Amino acid sequence: MKIKLLLIVIFSSLTMSSQEKQLTLENLNDFRPQAGNWQIVGDVAMNRNIDIHDLEKSHSKSKKKKKKKKRKNRKSALAPVSFFPGTGILLNINDNSKKDALISSIEHGDIKLELDVMLPKGSNSGIYLQGRYELQLFDSWGVKNPSFSDIGGIYRNWDNRPGKIFRGISPSSNASKAPGLWQHLKIHFQAPRFDKHGTKISNAKFISVILNGVSIHSNIEVPLPTGGPISKKETSKGPLMIQGDHGPVAFKNITYQLLKESEVEISSLAYKVYKGDFKGLEDLNGQPIAIKGISKLIDVNVSNEEDKYGIEYSGTLFIPSEDTYTISLEYSGGAKLLVDAKEILKNNSSSAQGVLKTTIHLSAGQHSLSLTNIKSAPWRGPKLGLSIQSSITNPKSFNTFDSNPPSTNSTSPILVNADANPKLLRGFVSFKGNQKRLSHTIAIGTPQGVNFIYDLGSANLIGAWRGNFVDATPMWHNRGDGSFKPRGAVQWTFLNQPIAELANSNEKFPKVATAPDFISKGYTIDKSSGLPIFNHMYKGVSIQNKITPDASNTYLKHTVSFSETKLTNWYYKVASGKMKRMADGSYAINHQQYYIKILSGQTPVIRNNNGEEELVLAVDGSTITYELIW
Amino acid sequence: MKKNTHNIFRTILFITITAFVQGIIAQNTPKEEDYYKITKVPVPEGIHVEGGGVLSLPDGSLAVCTRRGDVWIIENPTMANGSKSTFKKYASGLHEPLGLAYHDGALYTAQRGELTKLIDSDGDRIADIYQTIYAWPLSTHYHEYSFGPVLAPDNSFFVTANVAFGKEQWYRGESRVPWRGWTMKISEDGKMEPWATGMRSPAGYGLIDDELFYTDNQGDWFGSGALWHLPKGAFTGHPAGLKWAKHKNSPVKVTEEQFYSQIDKREVKKNGRFIKPSNIINEKNPDFVYKIKEAIPQLQLPAVVLPHGILGVSNSEVKVDDTAGKFGPFSGQVLIGDMGQSKIMRIALEKIKGQYQGVAFDFRSGFQSGVMRMDFNNDGKLFVGETNRGWGSAGNTNSGLEFLTWTGRMPFEMKTVKAMPDGFEIEFTQPVDKASAEDLDSYKAKSYIYKYHAAYGSPQTNIENIKLKGVKVSDDGLKVRIVTDNLRQYYVHEITLEGVLLKGSKNTTLHPTFYYTLNNIPDGAKLNISELSTTRSSSKKGKTTKRKAIKRKTTKAASVLTDTQIQPLLAKNTCIACHNKDKRVVGPAFKAIAKRNYSNQKIVDLIYNPQPKNWPEYATPMAPMSHVPKVEALKIAAWINSLKKQE
Repeated sequence: MKIKLLLIVIFSSLTMSSQEKQLTLENLNDFRPQAGNWQIVGDVAMNRNIDIHDLEKSHSKSKKKKKKKKRKNRKSALAPVSFFPGTGILLNINDNSKKDALISSIEHGDIKLELDVMLPKGSNSGIYLQGRYELQLFDSWGVKNPSFSDIGGIYRNWDNRPGKIFRGISPSSNASKAPGLWQHLKIHFQAPRFDKHGTKISNAKFISVILNGVSIHSNIEVPLPTGGPISKKETSKGPLMIQGDHGPVAFKNITYQLLKESEVEISSLAYKVYKGDFKGLEDLNGQPIAIKGISKLIDVNVSNEEDKYGIEYSGTLFIPSEDTYTISLEYSGGAKLLVDAKEILKNNSSSAQGVLKTTIHLSAGQHSLSLTNIKSAPWRGPKLGLSIQSSITNPKSFNTFDSNPPSTNSTSPILVNADANPKLLRGFVSFKGNQKRLSHTIAIGTPQGVNFIYDLGSANLIGAWRGNFVDATPMWHNRGDGSFKPRGAVQWTFLNQPIAELANSNEKFPKVATAPDFISKGYTIDKSSGLPIFNHMYKGVSIQNKITPDASNTYLKHTVSFSETKLTNWYYKVASGKMKRMADGSYAINHQQYYIKILSGQTPVIRNNNGEEELVLAVDGSTITYELIW
Repeated sequence: MKKNTHNIFRTILFITITAFVQGIIAQNTPKEEDYYKITKVPVPEGIHVEGGGVLSLPDGSLAVCTRRGDVWIIENPTMANGSKSTFKKYASGLHEPLGLAYHDGALYTAQRGELTKLIDSDGDRIADIYQTIYAWPLSTHYHEYSFGPVLAPDNSFFVTANVAFGKEQWYRGESRVPWRGWTMKISEDGKMEPWATGMRSPAGYGLIDDELFYTDNQGDWFGSGALWHLPKGAFTGHPAGLKWAKHKNSPVKVTEEQFYSQIDKREVKKNGRFIKPSNIINEKNPDFVYKIKEAIPQLQLPAVVLPHGILGVSNSEVKVDDTAGKFGPFSGQVLIGDMGQSKIMRIALEKIKGQYQGVAFDFRSGFQSGVMRMDFNNDGKLFVGETNRGWGSAGNTNSGLEFLTWTGRMPFEMKTVKAMPDGFEIEFTQPVDKASAEDLDSYKAKSYIYKYHAAYGSPQTNIENIKLKGVKVSDDGLKVRIVTDNLRQYYVHEITLEGVLLKGSKNTTLHPTFYYTLNNIPDGAKLNISELSTTRSSSKKGKTTKRKAIKRKTTKAASVLTDTQIQPLLAKNTCIACHNKDKRVVGPAFKAIAKRNYSNQKIVDLIYNPQPKNWPEYATPMAPMSHVPKVEALKIAAWINSLKKQE
C-alpha cells in the first residue's frame, strides 16, 4: 500500500512535465530531409534595422556598382542575421537555390503547440498545421490594423472558384514585437472530423492562438486548406510544416501535445443525498440518507436543493491505457475526490468555489471512484463538474451540462480608448499581469496607439504596449477592485526605484521607494502633446521623466532630467535581465525580449547583482535619453 | 383714484388667491416637494456623473468629480435664464476621487492614493498640473476609499480613509497600511499629521463652527451611523486604526492591547474556521460606547446618532446651511446626505457641558441615486452629487447630479429641539394649535441605545417608552416644552408628534419625528408641574379609535396588520432601510416578495437566513436579521403576504 502511494507520488511529480513533448532541436532528426536552408544553431542575433529585401536589392544592385562599394555592401548585407554554433535553435536562411519548407516527421490531428519565433525585418514565413492550415509569420512590427497576411493571421487560399475561396482571417489585434526579438506563440488546433464514410463533419479549428500573451484567435473555423499546403485534401492527420522560402526565421522551445478523444469511462455511478447545514465534509458521517439512486453522469441537481446539501457519488472509473491523467473537479461549497480509496483532491469547505486539479498515474483497467460535495453558501449556485484528460487526449467531462454550466461573464466590458488626445488613467495594475499589485500607477494611451504604464510610487516606466488602451471593467463595474488591464501584449520592464544614490557600485537599487528620500510630485501636462511630464524629488533633487512615442509611433523615448549637476555616486538602472550588445549599439534585454538604446551618450555598464544583470548608467545630473524598443 | 382702487382690488385678489392656493396646498397634505424642489441637471450622454465630489465655484459654475476619475466644470448648472448648462472636462485619469476643495484658484481632490492639487496654469479651464501634495500607502483592497479634502481654517486639508477587510474574516475591518481608518491633516507643503482614528467608512465630512465633523455608517463596531465631532486625537470607535497608534506622530494614545482588554474582540474559531460575530439576543450586559469610554477616555461619543434604517443606512456629506436664509428657515443647521436611502437629513447641534449633541430630522427624500456630496451655490441652491454603483439605493440610477431649491414657502416643521433639564424644547417654524399641542396623546416617545460590539450593526437596545409628564406651549405657539421623568443620558430619544397640528389647520408637521441624542442632560431649573398641561384626549369619551386598534392587536393575534400598523415594526426592525412596499429600493419591494408565494413561516426563515441568490439583480446581499423577535417577524410576514391581494 505504502509503496503504491510512494509510486503515485513520484509519478505525480515527474509527469507534471511530461504532458508535453519537445521537438528536439539538437539535430534535424525530427524533420524530413530538406535542401539545407534549415540548420541547427546555438544562438542567433538579428540586426533589426536591416530589411532583408534591401539585402536582396543590394545584392542585385551591387553588380552595377564599383568593386569598392560592392565589398562594403556585401559586408553590411551579411549583417541582418548572425548565428553561432551549438544546438537548441532552428534557423532558416534561404536563397534562390535552397528554399525548402521544413516538414516534421510526426503527423498530428488535434494538437497544442507552443514555440518561440524570431524574424528579421521584412521576413515572411508560416506554420502549417497538418501541412494545410497556415498561421502566418511575418514582421508586422508597428502595423496598426493587421490583415490575414500579418503575423498570427490565418492565411487565405488562392482558389478563386466559387465556394472554394477562403479569404483568410486577420488576427484580432497586432500583438507582435520588433524584428530580432523572440515572440511566443501558443496554438491549440483541432483537426477536421470525419464520419465513418470519410465525410467531413466538422471543420479544422483554431481553438485558440495566443501571441505574446494576447489572444488573437478564438474558436475560428478554417473551412478549406489555406494557400501553399502540402495537399488540398483535408485529413485527420498531417505533419507540421514551416515555410522556408521567403526570408530568414528562427525557432526555439518547440513543444507540443498530441491530443485525441478520450476513451475514459465512468460506470456504475450511484449517489446518496444528505440534507442539512454541513460545514465540513466530515459532517456527512452518520447522517441519514435523504435520496439515493443511480445515474449515468454526475449531476449536482439530484439534491433537489439550492443549498444545505451533501452529495456522495461512487462509481467505477475505466482507464483505457496506462498513462498520466489530469483530473479536474469544479465545484461550489466543498468537495473531495478519492480514486482507489485514496484522497487525491480535497477542499474541506462549505462555502468556497473553484477548480481542484491534480495529475496522477493510473494503470489500465478499472478503478474505484468516490466524490463528495457539500454546500452551505446561499449566495453560490450549485456546481459540480468532473473532467479527465491525459497527456494525449482532450478533456472529457462526466457531468450533465447544468451540473457545471460554463461560467460565462455577461458583464459588458468597459473599455477606455484614447481619442483625439492622449488618455491618462490611474489605477491598480498587476505587474506582468499576475504578480505584485501596484497601487500608485498610471497608464497613458496615445492616439497613435503607443501605450505605457508609469509607476508614480517609484518613478519607473514599468510596461509598454501597442494597440488598444485598457479594459477598465475591473475598476468600474459594480464596486470594482480599483484595477485595470492593458489591452495588448505588454512588454514589462522591472520593479525597482531606478534612480538612486548608491554607496558603491554593488549596492542594490531600492526595491521600493520611500519617504523622506523619495517624494512623488505628480505630473504636468505638456500642452503640445497632451502627455504628462512626471516630477519627483529624490534627496532634494528635482527629477523629471518625460516619456513619448518615437517619431514613427512604434516605440518609446524616455528622457530623465535633473535639477542639479555634479551629482556623484548616483546611478540609473535602465534595464534588468540578461544583456546582449547589438551591432547598432543597442542592448537586447533578457534574451532578446526588448531593446534599449541609449541616445544621450552615456556608456552603460552591465553589472551582475546577485545573479540579476542590470544595465546601469552613472548619473552626474546631465540628461539621460534612451529608447525602449519592443 | 379709480386706478388705485383697481390696483387695490387686484392686490387683494392676488393675496386671496395665493392664500387660498397656499391653503389648498396646505389642506392637501403637504409634501416635501412643496417646499424643496429637486431639479435634474441634464448630463450629456456618455458622461457618468457618479458624484464623488461637488463644489460650487466663486463664479457660479459647479465643479464635479466622478468615481471614474474625471473632474467636470459645469457652467450655468442651474440653467438660469433659459440657457443650457455646458460641461467642460477639467481633469481626468484620477483614481476614484471622492471630494473637492477649492483654494486660490486651484482644485484639490483626494484620490485613492494621494491628495492632488489640480492647477490650470494658462486659464483655459483645463488642468495642466496634477501636483501630488501627499501620497499615502494602499494595500489595493477595493474598500480603501479615501475621502476629501476639507479645507481647514488654516488652509490645510483633512482627508479621511476607509479600512480594508480581512481575507478569511471578510466582515472585520482592518488597517493593512498606515493610515487606513484614520483622518489625516495635510498641509500644502506636503506634511501629514495623523489627526484621529476609529474610522471605518468615513464617507462624509465637513466643517461646522470651524470644527471638523464626520459621518460613519453602520458596520462592524458601529451600531448605527452617526455624526461625530472630530477634535485632534479622537478615537471614534472602530479599532482597526489603533494598529498605528504607537506611531510617534499619533495623537491617539489608545493601543490595541488596551482596547481589547476592555472589550471582547469576538474572534472565535470553531472547527478551525472563524465564526462571524453576530448580535447576542437577550444579551445580559451589552457594552455601550459611554461605558467603555470610562476606561478609554479618548473614545469619542457620536454627537448625533442617525438611527440606522430610519435616518439613513450609509451616511455621507456633512454640509452646513450657510445661505443666510436663501435655502429656507434652517440656516445654520447641518444637512447630512445618505447613499442607501437617497435622501438628506437635517441636524441641529448644541453644546451642553462643552460637548456637541443635538437633534436629527428627515429633510428631503426622492433623489435619483445615492446622495454622496452636496454644496450650496451663491444663490442658495443645493447641488447634490449622487452614486450608488456597487451598493444599490432607493433611487435607482447609478449616477446623478441634481439640485434642491427652496420654493419660498414655509413648511410647518420642527425647526429645532433643545435639551432641557426636564425634557426637550421644540421650536416650530409656524405656530402650533394650542389644544393639540397641549394634548399629551399627541406625542409618542421612546428612547433606545445602540450596542458597541464587534458584530455588524446593532438593533435598537433597551427600548423604553417615554411617559410624558406634561407639556407647556409658549404664548406665541412657536415653542413647546415637553417634560418627562424618563430621560436617559446617552440614549437616542425618539419622539413623534402624531397629533400636534398647525394652528388653523389639520396638518401635522411635514416630518413628524425628532431623534435627539442626549449625551448630556443640561443642568438648570425644571418647570413646575403647575405650569404644565397634563391633558390627554384619550381619557375623554369618544376618542377611542386608537385604543381600539391597540386592543384588536392583542386579542386577535392572527389578524393581519394594516399598512399603518405595520410601519412601526418595519421601522424598528430597520426593514425600511432597504425595502419599500411598492417600489424597488436597495432591496425588492414587499409586493414583489409577496408575489413569490412564500408561506409566512418561509418568510420568517428568510428574514433570519436570507438567500441573496433569489434576487440576483440586487447589488447588496441582505444580511441575516437575527435580532427581529419571532412574534414580530410573523406579523411582518403575514402583512407582506396580504399585499398579494392589493393591486
